[in-house]
Amino acid sequence: MSHLLELGGISKRFGGVQAVDDVDFHADLGEIVGVIGPNGAGKTTLFNIVTGFYRPDSGSIHFDGHNLVGFKPNQVARVGIARTFQAVRLFANMTVIENAMVGQHTRTKSGVFGAILNSRRTTAEERRIVDSAINALAFFGDSLTPRLNQLASELAYADRRRLEIARAMATEPKLLLLDEPAAGMNPAEKDGLIELISRLRDEKGYAIVLIEHDMPVIKGVCDRVAALDYGSKIAEGTYDEVAANRQVIEAYLGKAASEAQS
Amino acid sequence: MIRRKLRPGVIGGAVILYLALIGMVEAFEDRFIISNVIGLGTTLVLVTLIGTGYLASKPAEEHHDPPALAGLVTGAFAGLFIAVCVVILEAMLSAGIQVRNVFVSVTPGLLNVLEFGAGKILGPILLVIVGAALGAAAGALRTLAVEWRGAIVYGLSMVLGISLAEPLLVGVIDGLSIPSDWLYDAARGGLTVTGTIITLVAAGVGRWFWLRKRDTVVQFRAHMPDDRRRKYSRVAAGVIIGVLVALPWIVGTFISDVLGTVGLYVLLGLGLNIVVGYAGLLDLGYVAFFAVGAYATGVLTSTASFLVTSNRDQFAAHGFLNFWVALPVVVVIAVIIGAAIGAPVLRLRGDYLAIVTLGFGEIIRTLVLSDWLAPYLGGAQGLLRVPPAPPNSWNLRDPRNLYYLIMAFGLIGALVAYRLKDSRVGRAWAAMREDEDVAEAMGVSVVRYKLLAFAIGAGVGSLGGVFFAAKIGSIFPNSFSLLVSINVLSVIILGGIGSIPGVVIGAFVLVGLPEFLREFGEFRLLIYGAILVGIMILRPEGLIPNKRRLRELHVADQEAQMGELVTEEPA
Amino acid sequence: MNAAPSPSGSTRRIPFERLPVRRIILVALSLAIIYGVVAGSAATLRLGQFTGANWRQLVINGVARGSVYALIAIGYTLVYGVLFMINFAHGEVFTSGTYAAYFVAVGFAGSGFLNTHPLVSIAILLVISMTVSMVVAIVLERLAYRPLRGAPRLVPLITAIGASLFLQYTMRGLFGANVRSYPEIDVLQGTWNIFGTEILRKQAIVIVSALVLWIVLYLVVAKTRTGRSMRAVGEDREIAALMGIDVDRTIVATFAIGGALAGAAGILFVFVFNQVIFIMGFLPGLKAFTAAVLGGIGSISGAAVGGLVLGILEAVGPNLFLTGAAVPSPNQLQPVVAFGILVLVLIFLPGGFFGAAGDERA
Repeated sequence: MSHLLELGGISKRFGGVQAVDDVDFHADLGEIVGVIGPNGAGKTTLFNIVTGFYRPDSGSIHFDGHNLVGFKPNQVARVGIARTFQAVRLFANMTVIENAMVGQHTRTKSGVFGAILNSRRTTAEERRIVDSAINALAFFGDSLTPRLNQLASELAYADRRRLEIARAMATEPKLLLLDEPAAGMNPAEKDGLIELISRLRDEKGYAIVLIEHDMPVIKGVCDRVAALDYGSKIAEGTYDEVAANRQVIEAYLGKAASEAQS
Repeated sequence: MIRRKLRPGVIGGAVILYLALIGMVEAFEDRFIISNVIGLGTTLVLVTLIGTGYLASKPAEEHHDPPALAGLVTGAFAGLFIAVCVVILEAMLSAGIQVRNVFVSVTPGLLNVLEFGAGKILGPILLVIVGAALGAAAGALRTLAVEWRGAIVYGLSMVLGISLAEPLLVGVIDGLSIPSDWLYDAARGGLTVTGTIITLVAAGVGRWFWLRKRDTVVQFRAHMPDDRRRKYSRVAAGVIIGVLVALPWIVGTFISDVLGTVGLYVLLGLGLNIVVGYAGLLDLGYVAFFAVGAYATGVLTSTASFLVTSNRDQFAAHGFLNFWVALPVVVVIAVIIGAAIGAPVLRLRGDYLAIVTLGFGEIIRTLVLSDWLAPYLGGAQGLLRVPPAPPNSWNLRDPRNLYYLIMAFGLIGALVAYRLKDSRVGRAWAAMREDEDVAEAMGVSVVRYKLLAFAIGAGVGSLGGVFFAAKIGSIFPNSFSLLVSINVLSVIILGGIGSIPGVVIGAFVLVGLPEFLREFGEFRLLIYGAILVGIMILRPEGLIPNKRRLRELHVADQEAQMGELVTEEPA
Repeated sequence: MNAAPSPSGSTRRIPFERLPVRRIILVALSLAIIYGVVAGSAATLRLGQFTGANWRQLVINGVARGSVYALIAIGYTLVYGVLFMINFAHGEVFTSGTYAAYFVAVGFAGSGFLNTHPLVSIAILLVISMTVSMVVAIVLERLAYRPLRGAPRLVPLITAIGASLFLQYTMRGLFGANVRSYPEIDVLQGTWNIFGTEILRKQAIVIVSALVLWIVLYLVVAKTRTGRSMRAVGEDREIAALMGIDVDRTIVATFAIGGALAGAAGILFVFVFNQVIFIMGFLPGLKAFTAAVLGGIGSISGAAVGGLVLGILEAVGPNLFLTGAAVPSPNQLQPVVAFGILVLVLIFLPGGFFGAAGDERA
């Protein structure tokens, strides 16, 4: 059966470093897949490849019937993949609502002439954009909705993470790629994150792929986990299977630790 | 304290020396501020002394120097510095040393101005005394209450302003059929003594009352209900538009001509604002589109164009196209060329893009000047006989009609810019400016939107060229140099990047004012340069800032400050 | 064009998603230009209007000019490598030293010193020019650029343009708008016969001096502590500061070195062109900046190579490519050749000859 997202044999080399080495991967709607691995294992690079920022040296990327190799990032967004970034990258000098409205860009059409002439179609579309943006923001309860006209740079850290996710949601994606969403959060916020991600799957039906270093979060929310090290996939399965895998332990803690385990 | 004031004093004196050596002091002295009493050059010296005194008497936390005394000392030092220079120069001149071979502005005339006409012994002494006195007065200003200080400064500034604005105001006053000889001395130029006193008192008193009552007015405005405020705005807008429409009939042809030029730069500024301000593209070659617009208009409408006659001295009966038909054609051509030029280069990084666009501007200028294209574009001799519209409709050579045309398009341009800013397109541009990669990840095709901005900018720029051609009637390559690009850039920078009213103000200040301050002509670019540097250092968001840009520009300052905390060496 | 509809359910095929339209156009464009250049050159050579000696002379002209451009370009590239800003006013740094040396040269000529002690005179002129240029560069940094260290890229660029205008017209005010001619040095007239070719003595001196200066500079940047600091600050300013490098002093040193080189370039420029005027810095400055970009801005070797390439292409290019194509007065179109090359290089090699090619994007 074919998956929503299917990566086959993806490889990418930068100069002397093999960043991604023959990686297969897949994800489906309603699934939450975790991607773990030590720093430098190639996780974010994989995201960058899927979203079109890098072109793979070899391998295939199929998403929802499209072949994504060679797509530019904005085309990738258009077919329904949205992402957040390792360091939160909001449009700092735009307001909360404006950030979310940019997300609606791919789903709307009005251009220069519509804007200049202020046609009825354009004003209607603007209204729809605002509504969709507000909807996306409303998913997060009270954290963003009361702050629609605040600058993104003025938000508290956890809210900025949420805004980034809201903006991604506004693009009406099928697949959501979250890059270390728990970074910098305290335990209470992490619990809230687990709940949030589960809700994203349950209420919105997205396919979600999640890069994380925080194991409790991974354990708490992922249906399946893949582990990378030095660019190749070294394990895949449920959290428990992967956590017990010797290569994974070695990758994180070194040979001695894995020997101590056995 | 005296030692502390030495440095500011010397700096003040050095500024005067600078102004003298570059020739400003002597050149300006030809113009009277107050007829037969004081010239602009001397005023320059005096203003510098006052400024030095004022700035140096600023109360600092560590030392509590009485401001008047601080000002006096600083002013004395400044005066002393320049006095010593004058003495040295006089000595050199007497000894026959040809100072003019190096510093061309050192003439007996200059020295006369600096000495206040009192000769080479009394002059320098006078300089020190005047310096001290003005410095003390400036310092004393600080001790006055706000209303008095504001009133005095404002009154004096208005005297200067009204005097400098003579070419403009005389036209307006005469146009309204009011006699003006009580205010200006028509024969020698400058304010009459009566006029000076009247201006000083009127401005000063007005300002005094304004400063007293300002808070009440501000409160009143803040508490005004929204719909009332909107009504006032609409009335104000209506009045402004009414004045704009009636203007040519009040001020006469010369000023209408100037206004036309200002309007041209407003149009160009709006176009470049979209490229630089909205899309964040550093374009230093905007003159290219201006040139394309002008030359395309020329080729299509001129009766001497290669399209209608094979002999350049034999004019055809009509141009190839009617002017009004040619207008949209030219814009379309420019948009296509803009897209063609933009496509390969828009993905370059900021500085590279700047130099490449500059290169395009130079390429275009070289091409229109070249012998190679001369059969088509006229070469160094230019393209002549760009006709105004045919006789039975508007005569575009009349500055008034041209003014209306330019104003109409200017308003349209402003509307376009305004509508684009808050639209989906404007948001995409703003996102691109903030973070190109993330914008792309959100579905904004960065390439496409950059191209869009560039193409729109090209179209608007070409419109400027069209009107320019119509205005002057012939097109010469000299008009299309890098300086035009820099002019337009300065206009939007001064006014405020991304700000539409800013473009208008910028155009008035940078393009309109020089027309009335002819003495500044030689020093125009010097002043431009100083303004650009000054604005960037002091107020990079421009005169009428666009709120978002204000934040963007100052966030960087804050980050820089944070960085400096890390790198500062321990005391 | 490529719009997908709003509801996220259905997806429509995106037309042209595969066609590399841009690449096709660029390839077509480059083929057209290559064809034009080759055909033009072939036609010119067939015409036989220029002899071998002519070409050699043109090439030498190009190398001489290119050497001057290279020296100025290094100044641009050094500042960019450290501050990531284009010092538009560098052309005026170049002019100021040259003017200062001019007045001394006139004095020397008047007293005859210039021709009795040519080497000493030239040495003194060089020192004066380099010193004055250095001072102007340092003042420029202190007053106009340092307050703007953290600002977004547009701001220092505008400031630099403003400073350039300001300096140009200050010099005009001070020294007048007339063109001044440098006095001739007898020893430098005439030609030398090197390897069978007649080379103008002046040109030979320019080329050799530029080479020497370039070597000295290369050693300074590669071997000295200051050079190392410059490279460190260019890599990562904050870390360099944490490593104990005085960032401000390094930046001042960078401007100083760049300024000194520009001053030297000014004297060499005058050997070739003989004239001084307040706007003389504009066009060479622009060309030097083009050369720096060509070579990959931030790279000293790049600036040197870029300068030479630009000089040669300028001197030889219009004659070679365009005469055959029956273009009248081809040398008028020099800027077109120069900037055309710049545009082409940047389109295909966004980082210049030696620059980083950047991330590989899909």
